[in-house]
Amino acid sequence: MPAPVPFDPEDVAAAKGKPRAAKPGIVTRKTICQTCDIACSVVSEVKNGRVVKVRSSDNPLFRDHICMKGIVAPKGYANPNRITRPLKRVGARGSGNWEEVSWDEAMSDIGVRLKAIIAEHGPEAWAVSTSQWNTGTDHGLGRRIMNHIGSPNWISGVALCAGNTAAVNRFTYGWFPLGDFGSTNCIVLMGHNPRRHSWTPIYSAVRKAQARGAKLIVMDPRKSSNAERADIWLPLKAGSDTAMMFGWLKVIFDEELYDKDFVETWTVGFDELKARVDEFPLDRVAELTGCDPDMIAAAARMYATSGPATIPWTPITDMQRNSTSGIRLQSILRAVCGYIDVPGGELLQGFHPDIIPESEIEMHHVLSEAQKMKQLGNQDHPAFTYRGQAAFREPMKRVWGYDYPNQVTGCYMANPSATFRAMAGKGPYPVKAFFFLGNNPMMSYANMPMIIDGMMNQHLIVAHEHFMTPSAQLADYVLPGDSWLERPWLSDGFGWMSTYRPSEQAMEPPGEAKSTFEFWKHIAAALDRADLVPWENLEAFYDYRLAATGQTFRQLSTETDVYLTVPKYRKYETTGFATPSGKVELKSSVLESLGFDPLPYFREDPPEDPDYPLKLFTGVREDGFFQTGHRHISEMRERHPEPVAFVSPGTAKRFHLEEDEWVAVENELGSISIMISIRDTMPDGLVRVPHGWWKPEMPQGIEGLSGARKYADAQLCRDDEDYLDREQGIPHLKGVPCRIRKLVETAPARADESALEVAK
Amino acid sequence: MSVTDKQRKKENRGAALQTWIARRSSRNRTLIDRICRRLIEKAVATDPERDFMRDPLIDNDPGFDPDELDRFQRGESV
Repeated sequence: MPAPVPFDPEDVAAAKGKPRAAKPGIVTRKTICQTCDIACSVVSEVKNGRVVKVRSSDNPLFRDHICMKGIVAPKGYANPNRITRPLKRVGARGSGNWEEVSWDEAMSDIGVRLKAIIAEHGPEAWAVSTSQWNTGTDHGLGRRIMNHIGSPNWISGVALCAGNTAAVNRFTYGWFPLGDFGSTNCIVLMGHNPRRHSWTPIYSAVRKAQARGAKLIVMDPRKSSNAERADIWLPLKAGSDTAMMFGWLKVIFDEELYDKDFVETWTVGFDELKARVDEFPLDRVAELTGCDPDMIAAAARMYATSGPATIPWTPITDMQRNSTSGIRLQSILRAVCGYIDVPGGELLQGFHPDIIPESEIEMHHVLSEAQKMKQLGNQDHPAFTYRGQAAFREPMKRVWGYDYPNQVTGCYMANPSATFRAMAGKGPYPVKAFFFLGNNPMMSYANMPMIIDGMMNQHLIVAHEHFMTPSAQLADYVLPGDSWLERPWLSDGFGWMSTYRPSEQAMEPPGEAKSTFEFWKHIAAALDRADLVPWENLEAFYDYRLAATGQTFRQLSTETDVYLTVPKYRKYETTGFATPSGKVELKSSVLESLGFDPLPYFREDPPEDPDYPLKLFTGVREDGFFQTGHRHISEMRERHPEPVAFVSPGTAKRFHLEEDEWVAVENELGSISIMISIRDTMPDGLVRVPHGWWKPEMPQGIEGLSGARKYADAQLCRDDEDYLDREQGIPHLKGVPCRIRKLVETAPARADESALEVAK
Repeated sequence: MSVTDKQRKKENRGAALQTWIARRSSRNRTLIDRICRRLIEKAVATDPERDFMRDPLIDNDPGFDPDELDRFQRGESV
């Protein structure tokens, strides 16, 4: 049974379920927090033109969807070191010296230089990196302009976080589904650990489901907080998720627990898949995963017989050398058990029929086939590139009504590592201009040393940012971005769901900070293509997208905070699935046509290297931070003053490690400094390292990059072929060989308030 | 596991009803809207002793003073 939730009556403060009284002098705005990528509906309270509080939504659908990062946002964005004027580099790249310029001056120079690069090297020499939070969605406008100019080289952190999952799910059933937590009977968390202050709505949904009796199965090497509350916890070896799912399928097939009607009617390749699954008897799976075979079988039976069940998206399988097979096996489990597009299962939502999706704004059809085929990385690792997704164009149009539906912006990307190699002069052609928006790319992808080489080899780098991140420190221009408090937004869950939510602008941006909409509108004009962004402002752009609803953005946001469509189930019975065969492809015809194994498979780890006896798991999320952000907020840094690596007591004993001791964690690619924390919840031999550490208070410039060279986990993330997924070319971050070296230097004191003042 | 037409109709009716209630509840203007909101509030209510969303940091958050935020933004306070 799940463990009870700890309860302290004193914790129950404000009464819920009652209208909140209006406060004198306070105006409220219905907003969507974009501090992280979960996008919680919240209320911003405004006084004297400034947001003074962010609190939970009054709408019971979203009540308590708020975390510590959200409530501290008003102070985080008021930080005196926020960039509020355009900055132009002075001196050599990475000098750390800047002068303020106007937007017009910046854009005039950027336009001249970008056009010169395109004239000399071709439009593919311009690459853009962004993600859909921080400075916010770019509305598809970046892709739209790039597609017209002729560059296919757009990359994003979603390449190893949900975007790639979206693209790979299509190989099986032609869309990326969303779990129906509200009606499900069983939830499987694969390494993902939603908490009160991290992925809050999912944490709430899991707890609510458990409260009404749903089962919870957790696969996780450590005893996570969800593992403690699970019905079954499978403490598998890091990176062995794919083998575990083969074991589940072995049980489900052998015991005939699958949905035979669905499999017979709606799938292809069952016999071939079954033969592959037979290569994974439970004793082999137990050896590969380190888990008890009886528990593996019990979990498989629970998943198959408790249904409808859901396997929610997890970043864990997005970041492994077996990522494509792992994601495919998740989708295969969903399908063969009959959980696709049914209540309580995995819903294939499509886009809302009344609203123009960002995919249409992107206009992928205008980019020529010749330019699409130049997309970096598409020959070796095509899964989420134009080439890898080309076979879905007709099926997508047939089922979902669009040629290029770009779910989670992850379905038509260049490969990040290939892009950085080209930037460093080691690709099939040069990339000489690099733009990034709210993305801190140096620390957001694998192989940070190569990314730095690539950035130092650019003729033009433009950043759109809130703060002087390590990546921004290498730019020619750093342009000030607005925050989610300071702009309207129309959220569609990144193209993952058909529900839309409007977010009202709550306050004016500081100084000359501008939205991504304005950024791209300026860039289009600088490239003599102002016609590509004809809308006067962001609200006019939203009015255009909402025209078929009969409402303007302002009307919609005044009337509601959620715009819904009635879900329909088993739509495939009418349309078929959006695959070439029209069925669920257990054996993928598209992967086969691309030259890959059409069935899932499992690549075992390379032989152990005695020099690196431990396994490294990067990507630990601390509640106070999201990705590489928020280290400048003193309230958050007080919670997490230093980067901390988790090890087990056994590992600590073996390597003579002490609590709070500073060590170097290193592998063949690089080394980082980090403090040790000894945790009973950790398995022996595993080192968990947090993601995205730098210190805004440390000196800026190429030498130290505000501590990024000392602390950033991206220096340990390899992208050589042994540690890349074959089909996608994304890195293996869950179980890379490493070692811990004791440092002789005296450990620095934990950061105090005064240490957070940014070094000038 | 085959699904009967009766089950399908029930599922579809249930989904349509839930969506209608959520839509009206989110509008929250008319009497019917407010009744819908009340229905959802009751549906999502949790026994306080088992309310896993309670968190002192969130529940007791006082927010910020606008003048203090102004001073902070000007670098006059930490």
